Amino acid sequence: MNIIVNAAEGFMGLFDAGALTFVNWVSTIVPKVLLLLVFMNALIALIGQERINKFAKICSGNVIMAYGVLPFLSAFMLGNPMALSMGKFLPERMKPSYYASSTYHCHTNSGMFPHINVGEIFIYLGIADGITTLGLSTTPLAIRYLLVGLVMNFFAGWITDFTTTFVMKQQKIELKNTLS
Amino acid sequence: MAEYRAIKIERGSGGFGGPLTVMPKEGKDKVVFITGGGAEPDIIEKIVKLTGCTAVNGFKTSVPDEEIFLVVIDCGGTLRCGIYPQKRIPTVNIMPVGKSGPLARFITEDIYVSAVGPDQISPADGSAVPAEEEAPTKEAEEAKAEPERRFKYSTNKKVSETLGETSKSSIIQKIGMGAGKVVNTLYQAARDAVQSMITTILPFMAFVAMLIGIIQGSGFGDWFAKLLVPLAGNGVGLVILGFICSIPVLSALLGPGAVIAQVIGTMIGVEIGKGNIAPSLALPALFAINTQCACDFIPVGLGLAEAEPETVEVGVPSVLYSRFLVGVPRVLAAWVASIGLY
Repeated sequence: MNIIVNAAEGFMGLFDAGALTFVNWVSTIVPKVLLLLVFMNALIALIGQERINKFAKICSGNVIMAYGVLPFLSAFMLGNPMALSMGKFLPERMKPSYYASSTYHCHTNSGMFPHINVGEIFIYLGIADGITTLGLSTTPLAIRYLLVGLVMNFFAGWITDFTTTFVMKQQKIELKNTLS
Repeated sequence: MAEYRAIKIERGSGGFGGPLTVMPKEGKDKVVFITGGGAEPDIIEKIVKLTGCTAVNGFKTSVPDEEIFLVVIDCGGTLRCGIYPQKRIPTVNIMPVGKSGPLARFITEDIYVSAVGPDQISPADGSAVPAEEEAPTKEAEEAKAEPERRFKYSTNKKVSETLGETSKSSIIQKIGMGAGKVVNTLYQAARDAVQSMITTILPFMAFVAMLIGIIQGSGFGDWFAKLLVPLAGNGVGLVILGFICSIPVLSALLGPGAVIAQVIGTMIGVEIGKGNIAPSLALPALFAINTQCACDFIPVGLGLAEAEPETVEVGVPSVLYSRFLVGVPRVLAAWVASIGLY
């Protein structure tokens, strides 16, 4: 009997943990992202689609803008996970690459700018804590984390361009390379 | 009898529906505007000029439906925007409003266009103009030459009758219409945002949260973190650690909430503090424990970027593969960059 009870409790426990995560997201990410979406939609409507398209064209025009500059600025200004929403200005084919780059940016820049990723700061802080224990300054670590990130995150996005092409062939799905 | 011409009306920024090609006919030549306080929107003038039709203020005069070829409204999405589409009368909304209100189901792209300004109205190209009988040239010319005057006259009369003013729209009306437009833009933006939240982002969150629950609840996460920590002692170990974390599919299991990365990170930090791991290895360690970064979150993240379902389909494996390819080089680059650190 006990085995059945334990098994049932264990089974429900799996979903309790998931439910906690979900509630946590709904109460933290959803309101912020929703209001940001409202703001962005309104901004786009007020600025005008044509000018936005021009901006998008600049961003999607070369890979350094799309996977280097745009994700860095988005991460700095919007933080995790709202920075990911800026991918909407890119053509469908570039969105996975932007995702690959901007998610890394939300981590590598968080040493210097903790506001970017408060929820997952312990990746950096956990390790940096050891440095502090040794009585050393963590700033050199944070700066190198950011600089190495800047270069490697760009490559992460760029490489995803190739894997996307590969997966498109594999799945026989063609994604648009132009702005809709 | 006047000569009528067809116009093409496209949606403006943030708008919905269209493009509509409309043309007045004999006996069906009235454009009715039903806009805030009876003020005349600026597009009316252009419509009248291009088509040669007659403008009528719907608040002042009622026109039988069969005489109307086009309706101009500034409805924020409550009722009016659905009334005329329901009657299948082409409707132009100045506000950027899509399908909304109780009559939303009648608002379709073939009968309704919104967020229209003067720039969205253009003469229809030759092919779209239906053939028409040759109109007597004298009257046609008169209509061509004087549409504005005729139009002004009728407006002046109506406005003067009601407001005792001669201007087409007073400053107060202009401010009112401007403010209304901003408020409506925000309202529509909010509607779109809630829509994409419900249809794309929340479902992905629920699905990813369930996976995370299973990984966390089963204890797999903590167990795996403990397994990996011994690798962190030297550079080669970190490269192996980064390689393991970036293996496709496993990377998606390790991603959730960055919990595993945070647990390993904290453990490595403790070891660095004890002096068991060289402090300069902190930099490659930061990269090694996070090569799987956000592999679990791909559908949600792409949803935030308003990606199409096909993009998600392609994007998930694509990002998993690219993480795998770029994972080890990241750790190596960080290892090289750690020279001279501490």
